[in-house]
Amino acid sequence: MAQEQNKTERSEQTPVIELRHVDKHYGSLHVLKDVNLSVQKGEVVVIIGPSGSGKSTLCRTINRMETIDAGEILIDGEHLPEEGKKLAQLRSEVGMVFQSFNLFAHKTILDNVTIGPREVLHTPKKEAQEEALRLLKRVGVDTQAHKVPAQLSGGQQQRVAIARTLAMHPKAILFDEPTSALDPEMIGEVLDVITELAKEGMTMVIVTHEMNFARRVADRIIFVDHGVILEENTPEAFFTQPKTQRARDFLNTLKGRDK
Amino acid sequence: MNIQALLSQFGEKYLLALLTTYKLTASAFILALILGTVITIMRVSPVKPLRVVADFYVQIFRNIPGSALLIILVYALPYLNVILSYYAAVLIATTLIPAAFCSEYLMSGMNTIGTGQIEAARSLGMTFLQSIKNVVIPQAVRSSVLPMTNLLVATMLTSALASQVPLNPTDLTGIVSYINTHAVGGVTAFLISAILYCGTAVIIGQVGNQIDRKVRILR
Repeated sequence: MAQEQNKTERSEQTPVIELRHVDKHYGSLHVLKDVNLSVQKGEVVVIIGPSGSGKSTLCRTINRMETIDAGEILIDGEHLPEEGKKLAQLRSEVGMVFQSFNLFAHKTILDNVTIGPREVLHTPKKEAQEEALRLLKRVGVDTQAHKVPAQLSGGQQQRVAIARTLAMHPKAILFDEPTSALDPEMIGEVLDVITELAKEGMTMVIVTHEMNFARRVADRIIFVDHGVILEENTPEAFFTQPKTQRARDFLNTLKGRDK
Repeated sequence: MNIQALLSQFGEKYLLALLTTYKLTASAFILALILGTVITIMRVSPVKPLRVVADFYVQIFRNIPGSALLIILVYALPYLNVILSYYAAVLIATTLIPAAFCSEYLMSGMNTIGTGQIEAARSLGMTFLQSIKNVVIPQAVRSSVLPMTNLLVATMLTSALASQVPLNPTDLTGIVSYINTHAVGGVTAFLISAILYCGTAVIIGQVGNQIDRKVRILR
């Protein structure tokens, strides 16, 4: 009973991320069609769908890496501002982890993690470094702190990228296919770090092709195809009894691939 | 006159000329790096008028002959009531042209940086200028050390424009005309200057290679 009450209370809170009637075109291609989505604090939402379905674009609109043509996006109830200082400030509160890691090639691992806090939050150098080392330890790459990105494996680089995002103390983190550029043997180590974050209650939006991971980590699954959210479901229900034919077809193709 | 005779009579003047060339080259190169960087930031800025102006600058100064620019500075500007000293006119000409090339080299250096890194910088909350300062320029500079080395040599050669105006002390090219009006130095007088130019260029090249090896970015 108490739990039930707790749940209602939570859903009444302002969502951390909210998309209302979002539309986007690339030229004549309609990539997002009337997308509505809200993510509550502490929720892990996993977006899945076939390649080219618009799921990455959807994820990238949330911190305005991609602009939208119509609709509204709100972070903590505030509208996403136009490009400028205010948007920069807002981006610093929403972390992003990219498919291709995107570490700064000319900086050491340690500096990659400290540069955000130093430049944007004006954290003193010593404090930023101590926290960076703590975060690097947490993702298991603290021994590599003084190397440059090119000397690390893909899995290590992605874990550094996660540490770099965490250093900003974000309200939410967006993961845009975080393991798609990794060799198979390195996918696990990155997913473990993300699973750990989920357990700690981090609010996350994750675009992924890793279905087992999605099922394990998600509070909610969003299935996207042709720019439309076709299904929102709990992971159990989605993977056992998807509501839509297209989701069933999609899951069946994956099963076929695994065999 | 042979080299020995020339050096014993004009040795001190050669030294002064060499120093003048070095001074001009160093000041012009530093100014060109600063101006070139500013122009480059304008060229990639989100503000269109800035991009247009900066692109126009590069098109003009990459293509104007140095002597034509010097003539404009010395003979045309006085009509606008701007009267520059000869030294200033040479320095400005020797700065404006290399700045355009500097910007071109930085632009090609920037193209080696993936857009992903810039997106990462923006996603951390850096403003346009912060991402330029922390991510773009440092990498563009590191990957353009070798072209910048060439630019320094080119700046030194451009500084020979100084020979076209009366300067005291004059530069390494000016000294040749000076000697040939005061004595019969012939081509030997020029040979000495040429050796000094070449020697300097070789040293610049060596130092540039060393720096490049040190700062090159592992990819």
